[in-house]
Amino acid sequence: MRNYGHAIRLGVEVMGDPDAPQSAVDLAVLAEQVGCESVVFADGHNEAPAADALSLASWTSARTAAIQVVPRLATTARPASVVARAAASLQLLSRNRTGLLLDPRSAPTGVDAAADAIAVIRGLHDTGRARVSHDGRHHRLAGAEAGPALTREVPMWLAGADPRAAALAGRAADGLLIDLDEVGHHVMAELNETLDQAAIDAGRDPREIRRTVTLPAGKVDPAALVSLVVEHGVSWFVLRVDAADPAADTALRTFLDSVAPQLRAGIEQALPPGALSARPVRRADVKVHRRAGIGYDEVPDDLAHTAVEPGDSAFARVRSTYLRGGSPGLVLRPGSVEELVSALAFARQHRHLPLGIRSGGHGISGRSTNDGGLVIDVGGLDEITVLDESTRLVRIGPGARWRDVATALQPHGWALSSGDYGGVGVGGLATAGGIGFLARKHGLTIDHLQAVQMVLADGTVVRASGTEHPELFWAVRGAGANFGIVVAFEFIVDEVTDVGWAQLAFRAPDPAAYLEAFGRVATAAPREVTPFLILGQGTAQMLAMVDSTDPEVIIGGLQPFAEVAPLVQQQVVIAPYASVMNMFPQAPHDGRGEPVSRSALVREITPEFAAASADLITNGAAHWYQIRTVGGAVSDVAADATAYAHRDANFSLTVMGLNAQRLDRWFDPVRRHSQGLYLSFETDPRPDRLADAYPPATLERLRRLKATLDPHNLFQDNFNIDPSTPGSTS
Amino acid sequence: MSNDYGHSLLFGTFVTPVNDPVHQAVGQAVVADRAGLDLVTFQDHPYLPTFHDTSTLLAYAAARTDRIHLSANVTNLPLRPPAVLARAIATLDRLSGGRIELGIGAGGFWDAIVSMGGTRRTPGESIQALEEAIAIIRGIWDTGDRARLSIRGDFYQVEGAKRGPAPAHDVGIWVGAYKPRILRMVGRAADGWLPSVQYLEQGLADLAEGNRIIDEAAVAAGRRPHEVRRFLNIGGRFTAQGAGFLQGPPQQWVEELTEVALTYGTSGFILSSDDTTMTRTYAAEVAPAVRETVAAARAGQST
Repeated sequence: MRNYGHAIRLGVEVMGDPDAPQSAVDLAVLAEQVGCESVVFADGHNEAPAADALSLASWTSARTAAIQVVPRLATTARPASVVARAAASLQLLSRNRTGLLLDPRSAPTGVDAAADAIAVIRGLHDTGRARVSHDGRHHRLAGAEAGPALTREVPMWLAGADPRAAALAGRAADGLLIDLDEVGHHVMAELNETLDQAAIDAGRDPREIRRTVTLPAGKVDPAALVSLVVEHGVSWFVLRVDAADPAADTALRTFLDSVAPQLRAGIEQALPPGALSARPVRRADVKVHRRAGIGYDEVPDDLAHTAVEPGDSAFARVRSTYLRGGSPGLVLRPGSVEELVSALAFARQHRHLPLGIRSGGHGISGRSTNDGGLVIDVGGLDEITVLDESTRLVRIGPGARWRDVATALQPHGWALSSGDYGGVGVGGLATAGGIGFLARKHGLTIDHLQAVQMVLADGTVVRASGTEHPELFWAVRGAGANFGIVVAFEFIVDEVTDVGWAQLAFRAPDPAAYLEAFGRVATAAPREVTPFLILGQGTAQMLAMVDSTDPEVIIGGLQPFAEVAPLVQQQVVIAPYASVMNMFPQAPHDGRGEPVSRSALVREITPEFAAASADLITNGAAHWYQIRTVGGAVSDVAADATAYAHRDANFSLTVMGLNAQRLDRWFDPVRRHSQGLYLSFETDPRPDRLADAYPPATLERLRRLKATLDPHNLFQDNFNIDPSTPGSTS
Repeated sequence: MSNDYGHSLLFGTFVTPVNDPVHQAVGQAVVADRAGLDLVTFQDHPYLPTFHDTSTLLAYAAARTDRIHLSANVTNLPLRPPAVLARAIATLDRLSGGRIELGIGAGGFWDAIVSMGGTRRTPGESIQALEEAIAIIRGIWDTGDRARLSIRGDFYQVEGAKRGPAPAHDVGIWVGAYKPRILRMVGRAADGWLPSVQYLEQGLADLAEGNRIIDEAAVAAGRRPHEVRRFLNIGGRFTAQGAGFLQGPPQQWVEELTEVALTYGTSGFILSSDDTTMTRTYAAEVAPAVRETVAAARAGQST
C-alpha cells in the first residue's frame, strides 16, 4: 500500500497531426467540456515532427477557460531560460492554468538536461532574487533577470520510467509521469521506492511529488486504475489520444463518462473517507520560510489553493504595498463571499497576530501588510456591474482598481470621483471618503454609496443601506475599516463624459503668499473646478479637473488660477475622465520601509496656516506637500450624515517626509491651524489623531457601534476605534 | 528616380509586449484587428522579465483575433533555435489560417543574451548564423521535398531531420537590418526588410542606400528586387499642429507616408502604438488615404 493523499485528477494527452493542429485544439476544447482537468500537448522533434507544443498550449489557453494546459517539452530542444519566460507568460495569460511536463527521453543526456532546466526555470520564477545564475552543462544562466512575478507557481513534472528520472523527480520536480504501456505495474513500486528515497534524501516530503500515468486510448480497466491509486499512489490519469483518430472523441467521452465514475467508486471502497485531498502540498524548500504561530495546515480547503506563504513565488507580488514594505506570514486571497467568511474565521483563530486587510494595496494609513501576521487580500473581488442603467446604479467589488472603474463607466458616459490615481483599489478608499478630481462638483466617493454588502467580525454577512442596518451604513462611510470587510459597494454614479484637464506649473518663490492666493481663488471657484496643488521649493504644480466639455467654461474656470503667479508651463486638454485615471502607468506595489505621512483638513488657508506651511516647505522636512480642494458638494452633506464628519473643510493637506520626528516638528504648527484630518493620508499612530479624524460626537457613536459589532476588536489595522476605551478621547 | 516595388500597402502596429497588465498587449492586438489593420507586431526580448514571451503572446493574440496578421518584430534568433522556431511558426500559421509572419533579427544586446544562456556572436557571425537559420527554417517548411533535411552550418546543424509541418501560407521572413553586410544577406535570402526609422543614422535617406544594396544583392543571387518587400517601423503622434515627421494631424501623416512609399518603395508601415485612440486614428484616417494617394500616383506614373 502506498498512497500520498492526492485527489484524483483526469487529463488527456493529445498527439497532434502536425498538419492539422486545429484537431488537437478541438480535442482540448472537448476535454474541457466533458470535465477533464488537464490537457497535455506532446512536442515534436526531428524524428517525429509534430505541432509545436508551446504554440498549441498558448493558443488553447486563449480558447478555453478552465482546463489546465500542459506542454510536454523535450528538455534539450529550447533554452530553459526561454521556456521559463514562456511558461510564465502562459501562466499569466491563462490565469494560472499552466504546468510544464519535461520529457528527457529524446536525448541520451535528457535527465541531466532536465535537472538543469528545473533549476533554471525555478530560478527565474523566484523573484526573491533580482538576478540568477546557474552553471549547468545543458542550460545556463549568467546573471539573468528573474521574473515575472507569478501569482501561482508553474508546476513542473518529469516524464520518464527509469530510476534516474524517478530520482530527479524526487529531488526536484513536482511530479513524475510514467507512460504506463511502456512499463509494467511491477516497475511502479520500484520507481516509487527510488523517488521516495530521493525525496527524503533531499529533505522533501514524498507527498510533494505527484504520481501520474498516461494510458493508451482503448480498453481502460477501471479496476486496474483503482489498484494504481491504492497500491502505488497514482493520482493523475492521462488518456493518450491521437487527434487524427476518428474514434478519439468517443474514447475521451468513455474515459470521463464511464471509466471515471467506476474509478471513483472503486477508490471510495478501497480507501477510508477523507484519504484523498485536493489541497496543494507545499515543497520543503517553501515550508522552511513559514513563520511561527500560524496554522498553515489548518487553512480552510477553499482558500488553500490561492493562499500565499513567504516561500511561494507569488510572495513578491503580495508582500508589500504601495509605500510600505512588508513580510506577512500568510496571505489569504478569497475569491468569493463564502471564502472571505472562512478567511475571517481563520483570522479569529489567530488573534495573537496582526491582521491586514488589503484591497488595492495602495493604502497609506491602513496597515494592509505586516511582519509575520495575516493579510486578507480581497483583490480578487473585483467585479464591476451595472445594476440599473436608468438610475446609474453600479455594483463594484473592493478589489477593483479605480482605473478599471473609470474605463468600465466611460462607454455609458458616466464617472465616479475617486482620488488622483487610477491604481488605487476601491475598498480602502470607498470606506474612508474618497477626495477626488470631481469632489467639488459631485462630492466624495462615499456620498455616492447606496448600499454595501459586508462581512462582519463574527462572519455574519449583512447588507447595510439607508434602511437596512442604517447605523452601520452611516459608519461605513468614513470609518468602514473598523467594522468589517465590504464585499460589494452599490454606487449611483454621475453623468460625466469628457472633462477639462489642466496641468499648470507656476513660479512660487514665496510659498506663503502663493498659498493664500491659491486658497482665495479656489474657494471662489465654481464647483466644476477641482484643483489639486503640489507645492515645492520655489515652484507650484496644479492639476485641475473642470467638469465641462465647453472650452470657455474650462478656460474661464482656470483663468483666475493663472493670474495668481507667473505660469511657467501649461497643458490643457479635453479628455475622457477615464483617460485621466489611466494617465499614470500601473506600477507594482513594492514599497520599502514605513511611510511617514500627515494629513490636515482646513476650512480656510489662513495667513497662519500658510506661514507654517511655508516653514515646512522651505525647511525641507517634507518631500511632498499636496493640497486637494474639497468643499462644494462635499459640504452639502450634513456633518452627522456619515462618519466622515469634516464637511466644512475646503482643503485637504497631505504632507510626506522621511523622518517622523523631523516632520512632526514642522508639521505640528500646521496642524494647530487645521480643524481635522483625513484618515487615509495620516500615518501618525498617536491616539490624538483619532480625535482629529472624528469629532467627539462621531467618535462616540462609532465606539458604541464598534462595541456591538466588533467587541473583540478584530479589525484594528486602520485608525482603530478601540471598543474597550470608554468615553471620549480628550 | 524613385523606387517602387509594386506591392500593395500594409499597415500595422508595433505593440509593447508588457506583461503587466497581463492582457494589455493582447487587447491592443484586438484593437488593431477590429480597426482593420493588416498587421500587429511585438518586439522579442526574452531577457526582459517585464515583457511577455513573444512566441507565447503571438499564439495567444492570434487566437483572440480574426483577420489580422501577426509577427515578432523581430524574433531574437540567438535565443530561439531555428528548427523549433520553424515548427512553432508553422503550427501557429496553420492554427490561425495563414496569419503569421516571421520577423527576425541577428540579435543584439549580447550581454543580456549571454545572461540567458545564449552565445555571444560577433556581427559577422550573427549574420552568418541568421543566414544558416533561414536555410533551416525554409528547409523544415519545405515538405514538398521528400528528402530528409541535413544542413551543416557553423552555427546551426540539422542532421537528417524529417521536414514539416509546413505553414498554411507563404510565411514572409522579414529581417531587421541596417548595415551593408546584413543588407546583402537580406537581398540574398529574405522576403522582407524591416528597419526602424529611429535607428536609421541619416534618417529616411538611409532607405535609398539600403534599397540599393538589397537590390544589387538580390539580382546577384538571381532574384528580383521586388521579392524583398520593404517595411518601416515608425513612431509618431497625432497633434493639431504640425511639428516634424509624423507629428501632426492625420492629413500630414498621409502626405508624409505617401512620400516615403513613392520615394523609397516602402510598402509596409508599422506604427509603434500602445494607445487605442492612436491605433484607430491610424487605421481610419491614415491607412486608407495613403493607399488611395499611392494608388493614384502609381496610376499617374504608369500612364
